[in-house]
Amino acid sequence: MTRTPPQFDRLERFYALALRLYPAPFHDEYGPSMRQAFRDALRDRTLSRRSLIPLVLRDLVTSIAKEHLAMLRDTFARPALIFNALVLAGISTGVALALYAIPQQVLRQGLNDPQLQLAGDLTARLEQGIAPAEADPAGSVDMARSLAPFVIAYDDEGRPLASQAHLNGKTPTPPSGVFDYVRQHGEERVSWQPILGRDHGVRIAAVVQRVNGPHPGFVLAGRNMREVEAREEQVEHMAGLTWIGMLGVIVAGTAVFGRFTKPKTA
Amino acid sequence: MATGTTPTAPLTSAVFAILLSLAEGEKTGSPSTGLGRWGGKHGYLIMKDARAPEGGGVRLGPGTLYGSLDRMMRDGLVEESGVSDDERRRYYRLTNLGHSALAVELERLDAAVASARSLGLLPHGSRS
Repeated sequence: MTRTPPQFDRLERFYALALRLYPAPFHDEYGPSMRQAFRDALRDRTLSRRSLIPLVLRDLVTSIAKEHLAMLRDTFARPALIFNALVLAGISTGVALALYAIPQQVLRQGLNDPQLQLAGDLTARLEQGIAPAEADPAGSVDMARSLAPFVIAYDDEGRPLASQAHLNGKTPTPPSGVFDYVRQHGEERVSWQPILGRDHGVRIAAVVQRVNGPHPGFVLAGRNMREVEAREEQVEHMAGLTWIGMLGVIVAGTAVFGRFTKPKTA
Repeated sequence: MATGTTPTAPLTSAVFAILLSLAEGEKTGSPSTGLGRWGGKHGYLIMKDARAPEGGGVRLGPGTLYGSLDRMMRDGLVEESGVSDDERRRYYRLTNLGHSALAVELERLDAAVASARSLGLLPHGSRS
């Protein structure tokens, strides 16, 4: 019996450890034969160690990746598994949409509460015949900076009569279509953008009500949406991350489940 | 699972070298198992044949070899002979489909070499 050099034993032990990086079914099926082939190569005097070791290392890297990819391909080629994964992905997409839509709607609806109160109060005072300047005392709310709610009274032509707010020193007026709609329906709730732009624009959550009586006109109560939109963006990020996380769990779970339920082909 | 159809696309160098090695073993009929009859070839013998210039000069590692053999068994090109002198060694041989696949590939290569020769890219009389 020939004695095995100690460095061969060390290399073989290292190779046996590296074989565990292959997918378990492949390792179980071919691990002993691969180890034997490596042992044979080590003992082959026609093959230099200098060329064998780089060849085996390259082979380990490429074939481990290849066998894992082949296992994933086999797993995801099973229609029942793919169907289950798609159903779960659909459910998780619905859950993620709900995680975004419900808080977003709660935030957006709650944003209008002070404006509804302010617009209702001012409309009632104006319909009682109180002068606009008296009913809506001038204020100094900067619509671009302040988060405070404000009210503006307009005449029947849409011209400002009294305002608690200003934008660049002026009282802005919403598009005439808004007044036309309110004239017919009595009230409108709109996201009004007196200054356009994503980063430097100004967006106002506005409630516009019709003023009837001896001096018809309109009342607009508004509030800068900046803070609520920032919260909506946070909710969107959280829902997005949750969705990606759930999809990741589904893909990993499907791969693991497929691996343990892989039908024997041999 | 064997598909039972001869591959028509060009074979990979690893698959071609494995088929060639197993075919060579059948032709020479050398009793590789030491059991006195042809029982196929084991992994390292195939790797060694593939590395030789006449075997294709393909440097196969054990991972590539057994990964290829696994897929070739599923495609029905090779099979285990069931003969073994050592439980750690598994012996493989060609199936009829494997013979057909090798013949198709050799014809394809032969046609390519003939074409190259007719275009003057390969001198007449050189080895093909």
